[in-house]
Amino acid sequence: MFAPEFDYYRAGSVAEARELLDAHPDSTVLAGGHSLIPILKLRLAAPAALIDIGRIDALRGIASDGSTIRIGALTTHAEIAASDLLKGKAAALPEAAGQIGDPAVRNRGTIGGNVAHADPASDLPAVLACLGAAFVIEGADGERRVSAPDFFQGLMTTAVGEDEILTGVELSEAGDGEASAYSKFAHPASRYAVIGTAAKVGLSDGVCTSARVVVGGLVPAPVRAGAVEQALVGQAVTTELIAEASRKVGDSLDDDDLLGDVYASAGYRKASAHAWVRGALSAAVARAG
Amino acid sequence: MDFKGRYNFDASPDRVFDAMTNPRTVAACLPGCDALEPLGDNRYQATMMIGVAAIKGRFKGTVELRDLERPVSYTLRVAGKGTVGFAKGQARIEIGESGSSSSVAVIAKAQVGGPVARVGQRLLAGTTKMVADKFFACLRQKVEGVPP
Repeated sequence: MFAPEFDYYRAGSVAEARELLDAHPDSTVLAGGHSLIPILKLRLAAPAALIDIGRIDALRGIASDGSTIRIGALTTHAEIAASDLLKGKAAALPEAAGQIGDPAVRNRGTIGGNVAHADPASDLPAVLACLGAAFVIEGADGERRVSAPDFFQGLMTTAVGEDEILTGVELSEAGDGEASAYSKFAHPASRYAVIGTAAKVGLSDGVCTSARVVVGGLVPAPVRAGAVEQALVGQAVTTELIAEASRKVGDSLDDDDLLGDVYASAGYRKASAHAWVRGALSAAVARAG
Repeated sequence: MDFKGRYNFDASPDRVFDAMTNPRTVAACLPGCDALEPLGDNRYQATMMIGVAAIKGRFKGTVELRDLERPVSYTLRVAGKGTVGFAKGQARIEIGESGSSSSVAVIAKAQVGGPVARVGQRLLAGTTKMVADKFFACLRQKVEGVPP
């Protein structure tokens, strides 16, 4: 279908984009357009105006100061998947970005657009929550930083206000003996995550010193699997321990919140989630060791 | 689509029932709802803006309260349509008492059609729960007298 009619404005800077947002009620920010344009074409939304931030170069790129990596909101999934810096210091992120949709989606879709849309079946929210990301949001009072649990407020709902723009994401570089990985049960047609699992572990002499496991896909917003983490920390990591700990993922999933559809029911997703947790943990441990 | 939920209130069933059947309280607590205009016989006309992320739709329809049995139960019938589709449904609401608190059980069934049902199927249940959770959280503040 064709999109409904809308006015189009291209912003040259974040400040100009914010002015345009203020000046046009019922307007929506357009970045890569790989979530928004299909929504318009399917007539699920009819905003009066689109504010295109897609050519603000300042919002593009990946840079590190040696401890914190900053990723501009307009950085594409393809750029993230190809980043050697991220592969070395935040491996789960390029691993997940490389599995989003198809090449066309990865070449146009952006990290900022992806997380601002906060589709529960998206890959990046769980990964960024696992990596302890801070989301940088610019509004009338300047810049503010929001952590993942506060950023992802529910199904497709984030901390970004009507008059604010997400400008980037910040991550800490993985330290010595630390590594992360992403493992996903992809819907065979859409490649959306039926279940997506991100894990970050710290190892010292074969003993797990830290663990963070976050699941997505089957929940409205990323959920930390605290029981899995507790079963790992302080233990000598073996294949058996990872399998046993992974089975505790169900303890962190509230049945009332689980998402299902005709392809994969909520119960099925919950019952099989442990396999993807195990996959992410095994890969993270292999990288850390 | 089916929806089931249970919400607890630190207030008597009488108070909860009165709040849930008061059109002004309902309109104030229903996300995106401006007002419920009385049409008589416990029927109201409602306009609601429902939106998650960039998906937004304005719905216009009627709300009807039936089988009112204060303070234990009633039935809510809703029919509406908007730019993104249409919805028709019925919810049974039962209010139980335990000591000084009340427990509201909601069992609802709805048919949803149009674009939102064809392509947004996987999001319907989650959106319904989110709207219901917000509604009851707001109602709880009003009934229990806790400032928002």
